[in-house]
Amino acid sequence: MKRLLHAILAVLTSRATAPVVMGLFLLVYIGIAFFTDETLVALIALTGKNFFLIALFALLPLNTAGRMVAETLRYLGRRRALGSAAAPPSGLFDEAVELPVSADPTRLEERLRGAGYRTRSSQGALSALRGFNTFPARLLYLAATFCLFAGILISLTMRTSLRSTVIEGETILPDPGSAMVERIVLSESKGKILAKNLEIELSGAEPGDRSRIYGLYPPSRYQGAFLYPRYLGVGILLRFSAPDLFPAFEEFCILNISRPGKEATQPIAGSPYRIVFSLASPEDGSDPYATGRMVFLFKLLRDKEVVLNGSAPVGGEFSKDGYRFQFPDARRVVITDLIRDYGVTLIWAAFAVYLAALLLWLPVRLFLPRREMFFRAGGDSTAGYSRAEGGRRRHAGVFQEALDLLETGHAKEVLHKVQ
Amino acid sequence: MLAVAVKLVPQLLCFAGIVLVLLRGFPGRRPVVATSVGCGFLLGAAATLVLYRSFPAAASLAVIRDVVGAAFLFLWGVSVTALYRSTGRAASQPAAPRFLDGPIAAGSGALLAGFTAAAICASRLPGAEAGQLPALLLVMVAAAVLLFAALALEKVLPASFTASPASLTVAVVALLLFSSSSIIRLDLFAPLTMKVMKFTHDFVHQFFESMLIPDHLFIRSYLWGYIGLLFGKEVGFWGGLVIWFTPALLILLAVSLEPLPLVSHIRQGAQRRKLLAGAIRNRRLRLVLPLIATLILGAAIYRSRFPSVEYWDPKPLRVTATASGEIVIPRKGEIDLEDGKLHKYLFKQGGQEVRFFVLMTPAGKLTVDLDACAICKPDGYGQAEGTVICYYCKTLIPLETVGKPGGCNPVPVNFSEKPDGVHLDSVALVNLWSSTVQSTTRVKEGGK
Repeated sequence: MKRLLHAILAVLTSRATAPVVMGLFLLVYIGIAFFTDETLVALIALTGKNFFLIALFALLPLNTAGRMVAETLRYLGRRRALGSAAAPPSGLFDEAVELPVSADPTRLEERLRGAGYRTRSSQGALSALRGFNTFPARLLYLAATFCLFAGILISLTMRTSLRSTVIEGETILPDPGSAMVERIVLSESKGKILAKNLEIELSGAEPGDRSRIYGLYPPSRYQGAFLYPRYLGVGILLRFSAPDLFPAFEEFCILNISRPGKEATQPIAGSPYRIVFSLASPEDGSDPYATGRMVFLFKLLRDKEVVLNGSAPVGGEFSKDGYRFQFPDARRVVITDLIRDYGVTLIWAAFAVYLAALLLWLPVRLFLPRREMFFRAGGDSTAGYSRAEGGRRRHAGVFQEALDLLETGHAKEVLHKVQ
Repeated sequence: MLAVAVKLVPQLLCFAGIVLVLLRGFPGRRPVVATSVGCGFLLGAAATLVLYRSFPAAASLAVIRDVVGAAFLFLWGVSVTALYRSTGRAASQPAAPRFLDGPIAAGSGALLAGFTAAAICASRLPGAEAGQLPALLLVMVAAAVLLFAALALEKVLPASFTASPASLTVAVVALLLFSSSSIIRLDLFAPLTMKVMKFTHDFVHQFFESMLIPDHLFIRSYLWGYIGLLFGKEVGFWGGLVIWFTPALLILLAVSLEPLPLVSHIRQGAQRRKLLAGAIRNRRLRLVLPLIATLILGAAIYRSRFPSVEYWDPKPLRVTATASGEIVIPRKGEIDLEDGKLHKYLFKQGGQEVRFFVLMTPAGKLTVDLDACAICKPDGYGQAEGTVICYYCKTLIPLETVGKPGGCNPVPVNFSEKPDGVHLDSVALVNLWSSTVQSTTRVKEGGK
């Protein structure tokens, strides 16, 4: 049992776990690529359904968490070691040297201060430090990695999506108890990223029957699900009659047309007719979806043959050769996905924490890297420990010189005693 | 025969290079390495002979390309491991596994390298001769001569020129990749760029959806222009370069980051400095082989981008439709549709221009296809050595699969085969071209 626990701990704290897991996923990706062109989509779908792959992926956040704990313990251990006269546990420093002489390391204090180190001495022990530790940045980096992998894992396993046709004046979902869509507003944006703002105003979305506006970004939540607008469209009440069509056609049609030039086809059920709709381009160059001043251009086809072309505004009608078109009502429509995904927030948080880690790490690593050394006299030997996060060569030179001084100082003392 | 021999010079020189590197990588295992690499070459040539005789050329080449791809993947694993090992804390760094220096590793590595090198060499032989014994025997004799030459050359190389397991791997794989890059159907770089392009497109799309980022409808056009750069073929090329060179660069980095020996226990400064200077000099020498491998990888890309193959790309011949909207292309006459060559045609109607081609596949079936695929910009196709190539993404499509839809294959056109020739519906042809060009233009304009 103990061995098993040790093995689990080793996997969870090893630097090799993440590259190995990613390598395995790369192999799966390559394997899938032999069978389909949609490799990434297939891999995402497969991972979401396959317990083994999920468990494998879960190793990534677990490993990151394990490494956060292990590295924090290491950091604390090193701090304790630098502050006490006891022998530090092995593995905390890059280099450990034992001199076979008993020398008082506190004699190095002046010298090391001169070399720019902050020193601290106590009962035969001396610690010398320089620069700042990158551990906080490292911890932030690991926390960001944890958030990223945990977010992806949650997204892969728990994301649900429901596509809804959001129509002005209707409930947001077919369920009659759901919120009412009061208005859909499309307007020009003054921002640097978004060209347009889209606002969906819902009433009854929150207790107290207050209306609430759902913007484009960042997405707001309705009953725990993000509202993610995908496409814009127009819903029109179409009344169409033809000499050979009985009874006349009347239906509220959802058309994927939101800007002039885009076409959408509406088949007339049970007849050879279909109508190709588009929006007319206003003379003032305004956006008909935004202003609501919509004029519909349409082309009536009977099988492959074009029967007629025409246009009519909302509320208007068009008649020719026994064919009649009426558009008594038109409303704005937004095809919206209602997405429940608790991983999204974690992934965004991960990017923010990565940025913070980089901003913290870069100046410290470039200009003030941490360099530490620790000397401890014990019995008839003196031990020296050294570690550096940057400027290694120079630090090693100071460390070696300090060791030389300890030994030559001891030799002089011995010589003095003999004389 | 002489022409064949000249054609195989790069592949055979690569084999000699592989032998040389293997001998340096396993300095105490000369007999094992020499025997294994020789046997590997023999086995590889024999296996390729069997492969070509048992399966169609396209399938055989696909198998060999997958083997080269697996070698490249192995190189990636080795490079990541090398970096992992050299960046570990000096105190806790694990020792190199002992079996890497053993006769089993030396023998199996040399056998596999020789096997793959032989398979590539044999594939370089022109189609008809790939399965012929005399040509292969000639290749084997040349390889044997080069093996002995490499053995002799290795003896005169300076002793300081050594190869670590990672350097050895990158050099051998780079030589294999260079060797295969001159055979358009074994080249890995062109399909890699295509895969990178597709992956980037899918990743951006998935990222937008996963992060609930608004669609292009709501994003400023200048910003979408930048995002659109991610959908271009340049991304495939640059991404391919990154994937191609990264293993070699990781190995270079791993060598550069190798920790210097611990010298603080030495009390003579001069001795410390001498030791460190020696270690730094050796480290620099160990960079030589990965650097050479990087250059070879670069040369492989050059060969992939500018192959010495001339594509058959005839000027499209203008055709017109009859009053009933039918296009008729005679079977024989000025152009023989059954000669196995790609024959391009141009049809113009109402400001629309449609390019299409007629081709007799190796199975003896006529196929009519648009000179465009459903994915890329309609830059058209050229024909070479049992394939057609998409000029936009450089993907090679075996002639056997031309006429089948999907991927980067030319879009098939419905036609009827009559005794007088091939009959096409001009309206359907124009519609098919319009819908294809319309959808691929979205890619061109950076559509998501």
